[in-house]
Amino acid sequence: MNISKIMRVAAREFASTAMTKGFIIGALVVPAVMAAVIPLVMILAMSAQPPADTGTVYILDHSTEVLPVLEDRLDPEAVKGRWIERFGDAAEFAEKMMPGVGSGTAESTLEQAASNIKSPIFKLIPAGGDTDIDELKAELRNQVSANEKFADETEKLLAIVEIDIDATRKLNEEEGYGAYQAFFRPKLNDETVGEIKDGVRWSIRQKRYENADLDRTLISEINSIRARESKEITETGERKEASGIASFAIPFASMLLLLIASMTGGQYLLTTTVEEKSNRVVEVLLSAVSPIELMTGKIVGQMGVGLSLLTVYNSVGIMALIFFNRSDLVSPLTFVYFFIFFILAYFMFASLMAAIGSAVNDLREAQSLMTPVMIMMIMPYIFFMPVIRAPNSLFSTIMSMIPPISPFIMIMRVSSTDAPPTWQVLLAILINLVGVLFFLWFAAKVFRVGLLMFGKPPNLRTLIKWIRMA
Amino acid sequence: MTNAVSMSGVRKTFGRKVAVEGIDLTIPEGSMYGFIGPNGAGKTTTIRMIMSILFPDCGELSVLGKKSAVESKDQIGYLPEERGIYKKMKVGSFLKHMGRLKGLDSRGLDNRVKEWLDRVDLNEVYKKKCEELSKGMQQKVQFIASVLHDPDLIILDEPFSGLDPVNMRLLRTLIDEQHTQGKTVIFSTHVMFQAEKICDHIIMIHEGKKVLDDTLDDIRTRFDPRAIHIDPIGGEIAANIISQLPCVSHLHPVESAIEVILNEGFDTQDAMSAILQAQPLNRIEIKKPTLEDVFIEIVTGGEKSEDAQELRATLLAGTKNEEEASS
Repeated sequence: MNISKIMRVAAREFASTAMTKGFIIGALVVPAVMAAVIPLVMILAMSAQPPADTGTVYILDHSTEVLPVLEDRLDPEAVKGRWIERFGDAAEFAEKMMPGVGSGTAESTLEQAASNIKSPIFKLIPAGGDTDIDELKAELRNQVSANEKFADETEKLLAIVEIDIDATRKLNEEEGYGAYQAFFRPKLNDETVGEIKDGVRWSIRQKRYENADLDRTLISEINSIRARESKEITETGERKEASGIASFAIPFASMLLLLIASMTGGQYLLTTTVEEKSNRVVEVLLSAVSPIELMTGKIVGQMGVGLSLLTVYNSVGIMALIFFNRSDLVSPLTFVYFFIFFILAYFMFASLMAAIGSAVNDLREAQSLMTPVMIMMIMPYIFFMPVIRAPNSLFSTIMSMIPPISPFIMIMRVSSTDAPPTWQVLLAILINLVGVLFFLWFAAKVFRVGLLMFGKPPNLRTLIKWIRMA
Repeated sequence: MTNAVSMSGVRKTFGRKVAVEGIDLTIPEGSMYGFIGPNGAGKTTTIRMIMSILFPDCGELSVLGKKSAVESKDQIGYLPEERGIYKKMKVGSFLKHMGRLKGLDSRGLDNRVKEWLDRVDLNEVYKKKCEELSKGMQQKVQFIASVLHDPDLIILDEPFSGLDPVNMRLLRTLIDEQHTQGKTVIFSTHVMFQAEKICDHIIMIHEGKKVLDDTLDDIRTRFDPRAIHIDPIGGEIAANIISQLPCVSHLHPVESAIEVILNEGFDTQDAMSAILQAQPLNRIEIKKPTLEDVFIEIVTGGEKSEDAQELRATLLAGTKNEEEASS
């Protein structure tokens, strides 16, 4: 084995795969852009201001007592006040969730932003108790169909609200409270609609409290239960409680990432091997390097491709965790295991891919031999749910010990909230090392014979014959 | 003189098919050897075994004093029969990659590549992708890849196929040059007249066996057909007179001449003067054995059978195709 030749082959393999526009755009730029864009979108969404609607709202209040409260509630100044308050809360929340991002918006800019908030402006017009609701609806319909522009925006009819006579007082004890109904102009802002509805409901509720002689402030105090952050007590200390998302998403993402990274490298390895074979460049190469050197070089080169993918995606993942202030969810040891299991998984898949690539004449023929590989690929998906529900069950333990799916199952267990004992992880690594040696041995045999074999694509039986032959 | 390559009792089978059946040969350093034989004779398999791309089932093999070419790969230049290049790679990068794989230092490699490209009139393709080149150009690039690292032993499998006459001559000059520098050159061809033009030593392979291993001169002497080609003034009638001569066994017309087959025991020189005295001639020449004739004689055991005719036809077809391709 000549190491410098192997590295030379690996360097070319890496360059011809990873230094292409397609790869850089597809594999690296896309996640990088996403990582950059997602926080940006979140900030934008936070500070985005929908155009505020201005216009008239007809109130047909049969109860006659809601309207005064509602007029106070939907007063333009009052609405604006609530909007500013809400914006402040959002900024505070953002600051808490993503320290660093919110800090750009300093106090003064925050105030400035608040003062720029455009809230909807409503002009409430009470309709007389005997007004026919259909007339009001006809007016709104006329406005909509005429599609006119208003010099005075308050002329624009936004909504009609009809409040039942028993909305705030029960007519008799057996029946419940009455209802309200709102009719809106089409395509209004969600915020506008929400503001009107909330206003009506708030006002009706307010009157109900008053009529029942209840203290609203007290009730809301009673209803509000504050809780300090829940924590998990671990062997070493305590940590934030793992949310459902974390306990499912992180193991799944780890498994998926491992699968993607090892399959990408493996897939490229298959393609380049088939290409070298069908180009007949392989014989030129074999005059300079031995088959095993060639195969090792190619596997190492594509491992570089897989590793660069992993580095990019992992960085994005770490960034996301830091971003949401949950970097405690993944321990540094998990990352170490992650890279170990990647290398183990990759070597097994890559050996298979190299063997398949060397045995066939074109990619089409490779498909039939790929079936077992595909099945192996799907197995981690199938086992995801049972493993993640009970990471330390007998089933999970056994599955995490059988190569070549072992790395994928084990990484799910390792990154789950209920990590397996260290000896199991080490045992899995050991078993996989044996697996890697077996797969490499198999691939080296097939590779040596297959590379110069042209013609009929082999089936499993011929492959076994080749192994005996080599 | 030490041997660049030696093989003894080398045998290789693919499944039930025997590709090479007990070949013994020695190729001394600094010689120019031609492997000839029809398609499928076992030339490429033999060469691949010399290159340690394939390994013999049994038999001894040594290359440049080593047990196998694996240990001396960097001193061997190999141009395989199946041309192979990385289509998407630039010519310069490809050649540098091959040079590095052959153990060349990256220092000065660039200049070396450019020099070689210059020598084969391809200096403008350095930055082009391999797939943009014509087949002949690709072949020249391949040749450079096989000699770039200044190997002691150069093995060329069918180097001339697909080249036009100008490039064929260029390649021949380059091969001669390597030979003059003391390099050992082995090349194979199924087109025998090419071997006749270049080699000083011929190894003929037929059905996996070595059937001939000699210098070209010795082959010519050994396989002297004892025949003279004449073109008599007066045609058929004149030919009758010659057939009466005691040294003449019989005549038979060949293309644009009459072949005079001599009786055993008569010297060719004496026979020529006898013929000249008997009849004025436009032309007279001693028939030189072509490698084709030799090959056919060996394969058929000297009998003129239908098989021999057929074989000759296929060999001629090979030659014709090659000539047509060249013109």
